[in-house]
Amino acid sequence: MRVFLTLMRREWMSFFLSPVAYVIFVLFLILMGLSFSMLIGLLSEGSQSGSVMRQLLGESLFFWLAMLMAIPAITMRQFAEEKNIGTIESLMTAPLTDGQVVLAKFCGGLGFFALLWLPTMAYAVLLAQVSPAGAPIDHTAMITSYLGILLIGAFYLSIGLLASSLTRNQAIAAVITFVVLCGFFFWGFVPYYARGATLQEIGRYTSAVVHMMEFSRGVIDTRPIVFYLAGTAWTLFMTMKVLESRKWRA
Amino acid sequence: MISVTHLTKRYGRFAAVDDVSFEVGRGEVVGFLGPNGAGKTTTMRILSGYLSATAGQVQVAGYDVLTHSLDVRRRIGYLPESVPLYPEMRVDEYLRFRARIKQLPSRRLRSMLGEVKERCGLQQMGREVIGRLSRGYRQRVGLADVLVHDPELLILDEPTLGLDPNQNRQIRNLIKQLASRHTILLCTHILPEAELTCKRLLIINRGRIVASDTPENLKSTFGGGNRIRIEIKGPLADVHTAMTALPHVHRADLREDGAWIHGLIETAREVDLRPNIFELVVRRGWHLRDLSLENRSLEDVYIELTQATGTREEERS
Repeated sequence: MRVFLTLMRREWMSFFLSPVAYVIFVLFLILMGLSFSMLIGLLSEGSQSGSVMRQLLGESLFFWLAMLMAIPAITMRQFAEEKNIGTIESLMTAPLTDGQVVLAKFCGGLGFFALLWLPTMAYAVLLAQVSPAGAPIDHTAMITSYLGILLIGAFYLSIGLLASSLTRNQAIAAVITFVVLCGFFFWGFVPYYARGATLQEIGRYTSAVVHMMEFSRGVIDTRPIVFYLAGTAWTLFMTMKVLESRKWRA
Repeated sequence: MISVTHLTKRYGRFAAVDDVSFEVGRGEVVGFLGPNGAGKTTTMRILSGYLSATAGQVQVAGYDVLTHSLDVRRRIGYLPESVPLYPEMRVDEYLRFRARIKQLPSRRLRSMLGEVKERCGLQQMGREVIGRLSRGYRQRVGLADVLVHDPELLILDEPTLGLDPNQNRQIRNLIKQLASRHTILLCTHILPEAELTCKRLLIINRGRIVASDTPENLKSTFGGGNRIRIEIKGPLADVHTAMTALPHVHRADLREDGAWIHGLIETAREVDLRPNIFELVVRRGWHLRDLSLENRSLEDVYIELTQATGTREEERS
């Protein structure tokens, strides 16, 4: 456990010791800020429909843009850089299991991702300040929204980690992650536009857009929760296997 | 300490290490020599558990590297050739991180850190950012990392690569000091370094061990005969015929430089031909101004051993 925490701390620290973290932070907050200002616009016109969280997250293009941008940027360096500068060799010859290394990197990334979202909680406070009738925010919906973000984020971060373990080039890792996540994002619209009933059904089970809509409505459905947890576990397992493959690959 | 039996590592059809067996006893300092691409790094990576062998058994301190990888890794300090370090960290930060992941108990952390920093000459460098250190200091940080959990076995891959002569000597002295407390496998292709620091040498070429002995024995076994340097004034053709006619001579390398002939006479066996040559020169009425026995260097042995079978171009990593 002590070893795991040490690894995680280094992972976490390495974000802040490079300029990447600050760039991600700024871009992320700009995008989320745009999403928030759009929400304010809608509220002041009185034309908003549905819940506030839904407007801010599920239905906002800026939200998805922020996710698709931040996640590859967080994960791209995690393994690729270690491979590039060779520290993977000293890391993997220390008495650590592959599982410890993968999990520590994942948790470090998830921690940073959660930190990104922390400032957005201020939006609720801000909203309460500006609306005379009190904040039009449902607290349950807020909690489930952040739960959804963490679940989807965890799955996407594990995909990024897998991509990072496949290459020693950070840019390639980022591009692979971005392309895969874009695939998931566009797949998310399948239930809205698909014609076949089966396709619509599959789409509803797997669409992150649908899931985010539900979470931001305050609905806790176990199906997406299991979907994202299982997806994350499987992808992390694959990452471990990729890491292990150095031993026998030609 | 190390026991390798019939170790083979293939990359596709290419055998980087081919049926290698050797032993290293506790407390030994063994030099691991060979040209680039001979399989040194691959062997070290297998020993340290970074790669798996295709076939064969490797044991370190009685533990199999495949089935008890963590036990083995706890007992090894492995310094890869490139000395990989995190450039954004400070020296102290890095060493503390490495000590913790190698499970050094917390209560020993502080004293151990102080000790390895002192041994590696890093006392003043704790606050420095690794990325801004010179090559020599990076090498020392790498060594400090290797020592920080006090492992029984040190595996050092080219620890003096790219250092200037002063740094080179410092690192060499450090390794000599370490020899009293640790078993060391030192991989290098700098021969004088190996000769100075190691009690025994393993020479590997094209994935196979071609020799294993003390530097002195290697020189006498593989060096074969003697080499005599001569400088004679006389007709070149005559001198050449006369020299090759001497007993046990297998090569006479002569070249004219002005009036003098410079030559190198190699004998197949360890016989001293100097009296014979002197006698010959006197009898023929030639002039002689140099007649000396040359010691064969380890380099000659090395070149003989590794060139006989040819070398492979690029080291695969």
